Amino acid sequence: MREVSVVGVGMVPFGKYRDKTLADIAWPAVKHAIQDAGVQKKDIEVAYCGTALGGMMSGQRILKSVGITGLPIVNVENACSSSSSAFRQAWIGVASGIYDVALVIGVEKLTKFGGGTLPLEKEDFEVTHGLVMPALYGMRAQRYMHDFGLAPDTLAKVAVKARAHGALNEDAQFRKPVTVEEVMAARAVAEPFTLLHCCPSGDGAAAAVICPTEMAARFTSKAPIRVLASEVNSGRYMTGFRDMTTPEITVRGAHEAYEIAGVGPEDLDVLEVHDAFTIAEILYYEALGLCARGDAARLIEDGDTSLGGRIPVNPSGGLLAKGHPIGATGVAQIVEVVRQLRGECRNRQVEGAKVALTHCTGGGISGFDHGACSIHIFAR
Amino acid sequence: MNEAMGEAPFLPGDGIAIGDDGRPRLTGSECADCGARVYPAVAVCHACMSENLRPLALSPVGTLYSWSVVHVAPKGWTTPYIAAYVDLPEGVRVFTHVVGTYAACLAIDMKMRLCTAVLGTGEDGKPMASYAFTPD
Ligand SMILES: [Zn+2]
Repeated sequence: MREVSVVGVGMVPFGKYRDKTLADIAWPAVKHAIQDAGVQKKDIEVAYCGTALGGMMSGQRILKSVGITGLPIVNVENACSSSSSAFRQAWIGVASGIYDVALVIGVEKLTKFGGGTLPLEKEDFEVTHGLVMPALYGMRAQRYMHDFGLAPDTLAKVAVKARAHGALNEDAQFRKPVTVEEVMAARAVAEPFTLLHCCPSGDGAAAAVICPTEMAARFTSKAPIRVLASEVNSGRYMTGFRDMTTPEITVRGAHEAYEIAGVGPEDLDVLEVHDAFTIAEILYYEALGLCARGDAARLIEDGDTSLGGRIPVNPSGGLLAKGHPIGATGVAQIVEVVRQLRGECRNRQVEGAKVALTHCTGGGISGFDHGACSIHIFAR
Repeated sequence: MNEAMGEAPFLPGDGIAIGDDGRPRLTGSECADCGARVYPAVAVCHACMSENLRPLALSPVGTLYSWSVVHVAPKGWTTPYIAAYVDLPEGVRVFTHVVGTYAACLAIDMKMRLCTAVLGTGEDGKPMASYAFTPD
């Protein structure tokens, strides 16, 4: 396998683009990534487009608007992990030597569903009985609070941190900081969550160009951001009494990714994790090995994972503030860490960041912790 | 059909039967070859791929693993409602609504008993009935 690097990234600010088509939302991200990489359109040999609900031929619809056609275009659906899974497919293609230059797109337009909770698969038994994603995470939160004594205001501080970071990111959907009091007083969604404990619904797109590291200098003078590990897993189906306070799929994926990359959690400088709800970030601190089981609250209380802290998590604002147009999230996380590792993030820059991890998981299906999870580790 | 439910049909796939005592019971599947147990009932065993499955009568009493009061839900559900997981002695966890109580009265690991309830209104305008659990 050849070492692969990200050479170009682009995204559009996440938000609500009701009047735009999926293609019109996404092409600026693609154009930015191509220009950032310094590649020509003809250099791109394959494209993977991750979207959960974008509909058939999303990649073709997007790429025709910028005239990148005739190449293999593969559309990838893996719920919240759609575009991180697409990124892995592109990585396999380049690492294996089949392709030299690959384009990855993540895109979603959720405003077409008119708001509310995410529409889930209606063939699923629990969904037909009223399971919604906020309730699933809400149950995780209630159990974790019971088992480990997590306080409601600590949980709210996850949202406060996310919003503080998002305020520094021009691509974030929410740019207004909030207080613990505002989080706790907001409208109830699924207890213990108020609206501010939940990622917003919205639209967005992100894109990345990858090539073998050894080829990067042909296209760009920017530092290539090396892919140390590219990992995708599905959840393990279980009918019994799963422990909902530890996401087995993330624990397993993290072990694999650290082993592949030859780094451990202590080597990471910055992370983008899948904070769809406040409790998720708490669970992932532990699952990714940033702290021991039951100790995640301390990272929030001590500011360790805030910008300026020991190990900043979600400097972009994360899903809670940057937004979560499902299929776009995986590549958007990669856009953020590439910019962090290049030192391009100005007022939200993690100083001297050299190693970064992205973590994208989701898919509410009965009997799974999550349907899918994808972890990537990058280094400058 | 339970009298209290009127003519409300149960959601498809529920596997609810009303016993001679007038109380509901849930039926899952047990694999005759490897013993794996699931709810709701299935046609093939996820553990060994056997199709030799028999009905498994589930205990009507279990323990509350966790819950969340849902205020925002898709059209049809009567909100707020309490979504929960209840663990049954057969080793099966069941997603359910909790009825007949207030969230403030709930505690993790408390005993819960199976019942039936109308949970909302279907796309056809008819009431949606299903199993539910209530503190024992
Ligand atoms: Zn079996």
